[in-house]
Amino acid sequence: MASEDVMIKLESINKSFGNIKALDNLNLDIYRGELLGIIGPNGAGKTTTIRLTCCILKPDSGDIVVDGSSIHDDPITIKSKIGYLPEEPNLYERFKARDLLRYFAELYGVPKDQIEPRIEELLELVGMTHRSEDRINTFSKGLRQRISVARALIHDPEIIIFDEPTMGLDPATAASIRNFIRHLKGKKTILLCTHYMEEADLLCDRVAILNKGRVEDLGTPDYLKSKIHGDVILTVKTDSTRDPTAIKDQITQFESVGTVKFTDGIFSISLKHRNEIASIVDVFESHVVTVNTQEPTLNDVFIHSVK
Amino acid sequence: MKFITITKWELKNTLKSRKFMMIFVLQLSVLLLMIVVFNSFVANIESEKGISITPSLNGFANMDVQDQSGLISKYVNPEIISVNNVTSYNTSILRTKNGLTTGFLYVPGNADSLIKAGDTVNMLVYVDAADPKMSVVTDEANNTAKTIAQSYSSSLTKSANNQNQTANFTQETTGESLPLQIIKKVMLTILLFLPLLLFGNIIIDSIVGEKERKTGEILVAMPLSHSDIIVGKSLAVALTISLQVLIWLVVLIIFGFKIFNPVSVFLFVFLTSIPIIGITSVVAAYSKNYKEAGIGLSLVYLVVVGFLIIPALVYISRKSFIANISPMTIVMRLFSGDFIPLPDYLLCLGFIALVSLISYGIAIKMFSRDDITFGPRPSIFRILFEFLTLKFFRQ
Repeated sequence: MASEDVMIKLESINKSFGNIKALDNLNLDIYRGELLGIIGPNGAGKTTTIRLTCCILKPDSGDIVVDGSSIHDDPITIKSKIGYLPEEPNLYERFKARDLLRYFAELYGVPKDQIEPRIEELLELVGMTHRSEDRINTFSKGLRQRISVARALIHDPEIIIFDEPTMGLDPATAASIRNFIRHLKGKKTILLCTHYMEEADLLCDRVAILNKGRVEDLGTPDYLKSKIHGDVILTVKTDSTRDPTAIKDQITQFESVGTVKFTDGIFSISLKHRNEIASIVDVFESHVVTVNTQEPTLNDVFIHSVK
Repeated sequence: MKFITITKWELKNTLKSRKFMMIFVLQLSVLLLMIVVFNSFVANIESEKGISITPSLNGFANMDVQDQSGLISKYVNPEIISVNNVTSYNTSILRTKNGLTTGFLYVPGNADSLIKAGDTVNMLVYVDAADPKMSVVTDEANNTAKTIAQSYSSSLTKSANNQNQTANFTQETTGESLPLQIIKKVMLTILLFLPLLLFGNIIIDSIVGEKERKTGEILVAMPLSHSDIIVGKSLAVALTISLQVLIWLVVLIIFGFKIFNPVSVFLFVFLTSIPIIGITSVVAAYSKNYKEAGIGLSLVYLVVVGFLIIPALVYISRKSFIANISPMTIVMRLFSGDFIPLPDYLLCLGFIALVSLISYGIAIKMFSRDDITFGPRPSIFRILFEFLTLKFFRQ
C-alpha cells in the first residue's frame, strides 16, 4: 500500500520499565481501514504498544505518527481520534450506564445535540438499552464489556484499539463482541490485540507477531500459515513393528514431503501438496490405525515464531 | 476548558454519594457538639480572675508607677518587677499601649491622707491584655495592695481603731486576656479551617481511586491533558469544601459567634483550600493505594496544621508581620474586626499563590510520569533527589 494510506506508523520505538525492556526498536505500519491483529506471548510488549499508541505512555525513544500527528507534538488530537477498549472493563462503578456514556461523550467533545442519539444508537448496538438506567456495579463482566465497547465508540472514532476484548468472557458474549468487531471491519482502522489465534485468524486482515518487544513476523493469516508448514499436515497412527527410521527414510523420498516427525507411534508429515497422500499412506501397508490431514493454524505459526 | 467537565461530574457524583452525605452530616454534628463544649469552656475561663501564665524574674517585666506620696512604690518588690517612677499619666498610658512598659500603676496623689483618714485608696493598673507579661504586673500590684492593707490594719489595730480599712486597686485592660484570646480566636479559627482538613479523603478517593479501580488508564486515554484531570478533580473538591465552610460559617453566626467580615473570612478560607488540595494531590499522585495515601496524608497534614496554627499564636502574643503568612492569622484578624494593612494581605495571598503553583506543578508532573502512575515507581528519596537536582521537571 502507498505510504499515504498509513494511518498509524510506529517508528523505532523503545520503551523500558526499570531494567525491563518492553519494546526494542519496534517498527510497524497500520493502514487506513485495515484490521491489524497483534499476537504474542505474555510480556511480548502488546499492551505497551497499544498504550503508547493511545498516548497513555510515552516512549523512551522513537515516534508514533497517527494520521499525520506525532505523539510528541499533538497527543490530544491523536487521543480524540482513538477509541480504546482496555483489557479489563474497569468502569466507574457508581455511574449508571447512560450517565457513563454521557460523561465520556462530554469528555470527547461530542456536540450536545448529538450525545443522546449517539447513546441510544450504541446501547442498541451492544444490546444494553434495557439496562441503561442501572448502575455499573450491578453488571456482570460480559455486560461491562458491552458497555465498554459502547464507551469506546461514543465519539465515532476513526481508529479503534481493542486490548484482549474477549478475554475471560463466556463463549456467547465473546461471540457477540467479535460480531461488533466484524461489524466495524472496513469502516474503521482497527488494532486488535489478542491471545486467541482463532480470533485473529477469523477477524484480522494482517497479523503482527510480537516477541521480546520486536515484530517477529507480519502478514496476512494465510501468508503466515503458508510460511511454516506448507499446505497440509498428514498424521498417521500406526501399529507397525518396523523401525520408524526406515519408514521415515522411505517417506522422505516423496517429492511433496517437507518434515517428518515420529512421537508415540504417530507420524506427523508436512506436505507441500495433497497429490501424494495415498502413496504415502501405502508405505504403512496394513498397519495404519488412523489417518488425518490438518491445515496449519495461526496457533502453529505463533508457536513456531516465538519458540 | 475540559477540566470543567471533570469538575461538573465529580461534584455531581460527590454530592449524590451516600458516603459523602453521611460524612457531611457527621461533621455538622461534631461542629454543633464542639460549639457546646467551646461555649461552656469560654464561660468557665471568663469567670476566673488573675490567671498567671508566665514566670516572673527581675528585668522580665517593668512597670511605670505614678505615686506622688511615695507610699506605694516603696512596697513594690524590685526582685520581681522593675519600677520606673513617672510623673505624666498620659505618657505612661501611651507607653503601655505601645509596649514600652508592661504596665502602669496609678496611685492617687492624696493616698497618704486618705489612709490616715481611714478611707479606701483606689489604685489603677493599666495593662495590655495581649502582652503575656501583663499577669506579672497585675499579680505584683495586687500583692503590693495587700501588703499595704495588712501593714496599715495592723498599725490601726494597735491604736484601738475598729474601722477596717483596705487598699484596693482596679485593673483596666485594653483587650481580652491572652488565655481567653487563645481560646476564643484560635478555637474559632480552627473550627472554620477544619473542613479543609476533613475533605482530604475526597481528593484521595478521586485520584488514588483511579489507580486502585484501574479507571485511570481510560481517563488518561481521553483527549485531556494531565493538568485538566488534576485541576478538574481539585476544583470539585474545593467547591465541596467551600459549601461546607459556608454552612459552618452560617451555623457559627446563628449560634452567636461574633464574626466580622464574614464574606472575606469565607473567601480566605476558600483560598486556603486551594494549596491544601494541591498538597493533597501531590500525596495522591504519588501513592499507589489508599493505605499509602492515608499514611502520607497524616504526616503532611501535621506540617500543614502546624504551619497554620503557629503563626496565628505568634501573632496573638507579638503582632509580628511575618505571622500574617498563615491564612489562619488573616482569618482570625478578619473575624475579630481588626484593620488589616495591604502588605499583610499581600504576604498571605502571595504565599497561598506560591504554594498552590508549586504543589499543583508537582502533582501534575507526578501524574503525567509513566513510572509513577503505571510503575515501576521510583522511591520517594529518588524523587526528592530529582527534585533537588531539578531533574524532576525535565523528566
